[in-house]
Amino acid sequence: MKLWYFIMKRLFLMVIVLFGILVLVFFITKIIPADPVGALLGGNAPPELVDELKHKLGLDKPLIIQFVDYMKGALKGDFGISLKTNRPVIEDIKEYFPATMELAIFAIIIAVGIGIPLGIFSAVKRNSVVDHFSRIFSILGVSMPVFWTGLLLLLLFYYKLDLLPGSGRLELFIIPPEPKTGLVILDALLEGNWEAFWDGLKHIILPAFVLGYASSASIARMTRASVLDVLRQDYIRTAKAKGLPKRLVIYKHALKNALIPVVTLIGLRFGSLLEGAVLTETIFGWPGLGRYIVNALLVLDYPAIMGGTVFIALIYSLANLVVDITYAVLDPRMRI
Amino acid sequence: MKKFLVILLFSLLVLSVFSAKIPKDTLVIGANTGILITFDPAQCYEVLGAVITSNLYDALGEIVVKEGQFTVVPAVAESWEVKEDGKTWIFHIRKGIKFYNGDPLTAEDVVFSLKRVLKLRKPPVWLFEDVLGLTEDSIEKVDDYTVKLVVSKKLAPNIVLSVLSGSWGGIVNKKEVLKHEKDGDLGNAWLTDHSAGSGPYYLKVWKRNEMVVLEVNKYYWKGEPPIKRVIFKDIPEENTQYLMIQKGDIDIAWNLTAEQALDIKEGKVPGVRLVSIPAQQQEYVAVNVGWGPFKDPRVRMAIKLAIDYEAIIKEVRKGLAIDNFTFLPVGYLGYKPLKVKRDVEKAKKLLVEAGYPDGFEVTILTNTTAIRKAEAVIVQSNLAEIGIKANIQLMQASQMYTKYRQQGHQMIVAGWGVDFPDPAAQAAPFTDYTAHQLAWRNMWYDDFASKLTKMALEEMDPKVRAVIYNILIDYWFENGPFAILYQPMQYWAVREEIKGAEEAFAPYNFNFLIEEFHK
Repeated sequence: MKLWYFIMKRLFLMVIVLFGILVLVFFITKIIPADPVGALLGGNAPPELVDELKHKLGLDKPLIIQFVDYMKGALKGDFGISLKTNRPVIEDIKEYFPATMELAIFAIIIAVGIGIPLGIFSAVKRNSVVDHFSRIFSILGVSMPVFWTGLLLLLLFYYKLDLLPGSGRLELFIIPPEPKTGLVILDALLEGNWEAFWDGLKHIILPAFVLGYASSASIARMTRASVLDVLRQDYIRTAKAKGLPKRLVIYKHALKNALIPVVTLIGLRFGSLLEGAVLTETIFGWPGLGRYIVNALLVLDYPAIMGGTVFIALIYSLANLVVDITYAVLDPRMRI
Repeated sequence: MKKFLVILLFSLLVLSVFSAKIPKDTLVIGANTGILITFDPAQCYEVLGAVITSNLYDALGEIVVKEGQFTVVPAVAESWEVKEDGKTWIFHIRKGIKFYNGDPLTAEDVVFSLKRVLKLRKPPVWLFEDVLGLTEDSIEKVDDYTVKLVVSKKLAPNIVLSVLSGSWGGIVNKKEVLKHEKDGDLGNAWLTDHSAGSGPYYLKVWKRNEMVVLEVNKYYWKGEPPIKRVIFKDIPEENTQYLMIQKGDIDIAWNLTAEQALDIKEGKVPGVRLVSIPAQQQEYVAVNVGWGPFKDPRVRMAIKLAIDYEAIIKEVRKGLAIDNFTFLPVGYLGYKPLKVKRDVEKAKKLLVEAGYPDGFEVTILTNTTAIRKAEAVIVQSNLAEIGIKANIQLMQASQMYTKYRQQGHQMIVAGWGVDFPDPAAQAAPFTDYTAHQLAWRNMWYDDFASKLTKMALEEMDPKVRAVIYNILIDYWFENGPFAILYQPMQYWAVREEIKGAEEAFAPYNFNFLIEEFHK
């Protein structure tokens, strides 16, 4: 099968998945026995006002008509107006996504930077001190709740040591760069605004580390398992038998194959980081997508919930697609 | 590894520069700003948004606290008079007030702003329509500095004044707002994150989930306040706020847990003090009078006597609440303290008299916040002592209120915020079923209570009004479906060097006088 045919097939499947999610989310938000208009107006509002707004928003129309109306908009990329923010959902997502993107990029760099070397070391030096340390590190990373790690790090690096700032993306009194990409650090760099660049870097270290640490743990474990697996293969034995230096055997022969499944994991991890991380965003006051969607959930802001979910599904599917394509390129058997 | 650690520590040191101190004319408030929706006075209804909005706009009157009581003092209107019919109001607009862009404020702007609330039909509209009975025709300009307003029925003056002086009564600059009108929205979209008022500050910028920045209005009619810039920095987590105020990176922490507040109050946190006021809010348990055993007033009284109010205040609020068992907040006209003591024996006896010697089973509905859950659990164990088996049903607030509005509960633990500082704001929901609010939701269709509430509305003499509320409180307690658990305290952490916080927070949550702050 040709690669482009494979990609087309994947894209087609992606469209079906997205449509399915749209249908599912729409009906789930309708089935919940709660009333978004009541939630919007608050507990004190009299019932007449609730009914009136419901009518205005078309929520008293038959479900199927509401669905058709919604689909018509969604196909044009219009997810409606958020009940809470009063703005087009797509505008809101545009505003919050760059912060999430920035955090995800740094988090994945940290995750890969820690996870892969740690995984390799502990596979090569199996059952050594490094291996044990790596395993404890991984278990902690997987099992410690991020809000707890976050608060502890904040307490240490911000409160006790005074090394890093407490909350937000930039210090209040630093002039932020003109938003071009929306990624503050990149914008500052492009503009040559060094003060904002350093400050942005300082602000992102802790949240990115907290997020990255959780991912690094699973990356390290996967790398370790995969490298161990490859080291047992015949061609490695052959390479060793040829008298090649150990370094070369591991870094040149073993790693190339061992890292294929790890690439998949990294791709998926990055996809899920892009969804936003509510708890990390909350502790560090990071204005990302996660908090936007959770805030929408709390007040049943259904256009925002649906728009946000579909957007996340899209991002996740794209991440998946990239992983699949990488795979197909690396391993032709996948294209069958 | 060692090398790596050394590099890491070194780079952290290089990165860390001493954080910039907050300038003397700037106030930084750490708060969870994720709840903000809009700064349009005709739409804004949640408390944080409303108190910020009240700094961007002036209303006809201003709500302040004088001798422990909420009072409306002249603001945009320098004086007013009520005609003998008790319905017709004349407001004399103060000359010389300017919007922050320099335009003068006239009767034209006042009429436009008040009608705008009615036209936009956003959450605050029911105060104008249902409480005051205003229509667009009932608001008119007499001349450039006089406005006439006719309410639909005779109303106690304080009701009219306190409704008009809420944040929704903020006067917008007609010319400026219409300049930004889109699709006939009367500037609603633009005013979401811009301001066009004459208040002490104007909205410089609102970066959602990051910060709200207010800058001083140099034309402010009372004179420029000492704080020139106010920043509400978004810090959603209480613990992060708590760390940041201790480090001096914020001047005020808006959201604190009860434990943190208690630590500050007890002086365990150097450099930070606690400012607290009685919150304009009542926490309550209510029973649905339409459901089984609760039809009998003796059962309702048994529930009121079974609850351990002291334990709830101590455990749930760490003592930071007032044992107020009436529907009126402390200090309101007509408020009188009710003495309610837990009496399990008497409660049991009442149940026997009502024909439930072995109790019954009931479901307590509440929402998922930690406070409500804790309250429901205490009530559950209290009821067990008099033989009532209570099951707790938890729901998201939005879901719970839907069920509550449909009268679908048996028993509920919830809260109610005061909408405007007048006893009528509380009496109507808690006692008058025709208001379609709490009494109605709990199916307490009591005509006597409803009649008393309406009488108090129309009574022009405050002394007589107070007596009516006194009677209403007793009658309501004997017969009604509510057990008020407490009136919470509202608190903020404030850095020692910040002066004027007590004065600034006094009229909260109807007003927040940022102009009182100085360093």
